[in-house]
Amino acid sequence: MAEDLVLDTAIRDWVLIPLSVVMVLIGILRHFVSKLMRSSQVPDAKIVKEGQLIVRARNLRSGANFIPPRSFRARRFYFSNEENGLLHVPKGQAPNPQAQMFSDPNMAMDMMKKNLSMIIPQTLTFAWVNFFFSGFVAAKIPFPLTQRFRSMLQNGIDLSTVDVSYVSSRSWYFLNLFGLRGLFSLILGEDNATDDTQRMMQMSGFGFDPTKSLGAEKDSLDIVQHDWALPKFEQRAEAVLRKVLS
Amino acid sequence: MVSKTEETQLSNLETQVDNGGGGAWEYLSLVRKLKVRRSDRVLKHGLSILNDPKKRSSLGPDEWTLYEQVAVAAMDCQSLDVAKDCIKVLQKKFPESKRVGRLEGMLLEAKGAWTEAEKAYSSLLEDNPLDQVIHKRRVAMAKAQGNVSVAIEWLNKYLEIFMADHDSWRELAEIYVSLQMYKQAAFCYEELILSQPMVPLYHLAYADVLYTLGGLENLQNAKKYYASTIDLTGGKNTRALFGICLCSSAIGQIAKGRNKDDKESPELQSLAATALEREYKQKASDKLSLLTAALKGLKVSS
Repeated sequence: MAEDLVLDTAIRDWVLIPLSVVMVLIGILRHFVSKLMRSSQVPDAKIVKEGQLIVRARNLRSGANFIPPRSFRARRFYFSNEENGLLHVPKGQAPNPQAQMFSDPNMAMDMMKKNLSMIIPQTLTFAWVNFFFSGFVAAKIPFPLTQRFRSMLQNGIDLSTVDVSYVSSRSWYFLNLFGLRGLFSLILGEDNATDDTQRMMQMSGFGFDPTKSLGAEKDSLDIVQHDWALPKFEQRAEAVLRKVLS
Repeated sequence: MVSKTEETQLSNLETQVDNGGGGAWEYLSLVRKLKVRRSDRVLKHGLSILNDPKKRSSLGPDEWTLYEQVAVAAMDCQSLDVAKDCIKVLQKKFPESKRVGRLEGMLLEAKGAWTEAEKAYSSLLEDNPLDQVIHKRRVAMAKAQGNVSVAIEWLNKYLEIFMADHDSWRELAEIYVSLQMYKQAAFCYEELILSQPMVPLYHLAYADVLYTLGGLENLQNAKKYYASTIDLTGGKNTRALFGICLCSSAIGQIAKGRNKDDKESPELQSLAATALEREYKQKASDKLSLLTAALKGLKVSS
């Protein structure tokens, strides 16, 4: 295109800025609503125990060289013997997280609350933007871009002749949706409920299987070579004392 | 663990507050953050804030934290009336709160009403069986009553779940030592060394326990752990130096008849003895004669 499109300043005042402001306000509102609805989770004794068990096994692995061989072997046996070792998980007994979710209505309820607080405002704002501002060119970015960015920046405008550096209002909405995370972590603190990436992590972490990490810990404990560090310490102590005395 | 900078900061604030220089709230916050035990000062300065409505309301929501802190400090100082008043205020503000319920249990405990306190704690535990503080209070209560075996039982139950809690392992180790159950204590100290391998005090305590257990192998191990203590402290630990001397002389006596080819580092004991002599010469020269006599008795003096 040879000549530039002229954007009305009214578009800036009534579309661009209100859209951003509304997105910020909704994000803040969502944070507080989800804070209100969050139910305090009582951790399961078994899960707590497994977490502590892993910490202790890890300590044993890293500090193994500081205790006598016999004590180390006793501990390793205690953790990883095939009959009733703490880290040994019998096959087939691992609880299926999916089944666990269905058996515990609270868990499903929690998930639903989280999802509701995320999805409802998003659908509403998207509908609002679509209804009022569809087809607008709302802004222009000050540098040229290749055609590839057309689907990202001109969502909702089906004109292939418009320069790619113009941004449609719907695309502006999406940019705000994903781009405001930094701002939210500034105004709401680090652990805000609007953080989508964290939510993703939680989602994928949902299928987290504690028995797997127990098994991994057991394997790495089994291959630890015990090399008692203490005999070396006698020589080192000697050297230290010599240094002190000299 | 309190780092050195925090310690100096604390003592600076302490002198400032004690001399009426203000900053009482900052001092109390620091005490709370570092979890140090300054109950008398917390009681004094905390009460001076709480009794002044203007200062108190300027704290905002932190007011309630201060009430809790002062209540615990008051119980520690046996001013139970103050504690009772604080808890009453908190009760009014937060009815049904478990945290306040815990304080009430502690108040009963401070009064010595063991059965009532026990009842309060167990009802709290029913609601939340994973409350670490209450588990620990129960252990402390059993210990205060003199039921050491019960305390051991509670502690073992607690450690079955929270097995990475090294402070509890330490408590258990000390209880076992007080009951002369050295094998069990040795296990606990091994656990402590595993969790914090660079703390010389655990090495020292483990060595003490091993030395007390006796037997050639234990004595040799004890000597090794005394050596590691010396290494970790840079030769400044007098107890470890004495430990080396005692271990070597005991090993020498046991291994007298046997072959001596596995005798390790014969120099270590003489070095330790010289270090001890030097230390005494510098710091307590009047007791030097006692030391030389003792070392001669152990036949390690060079």
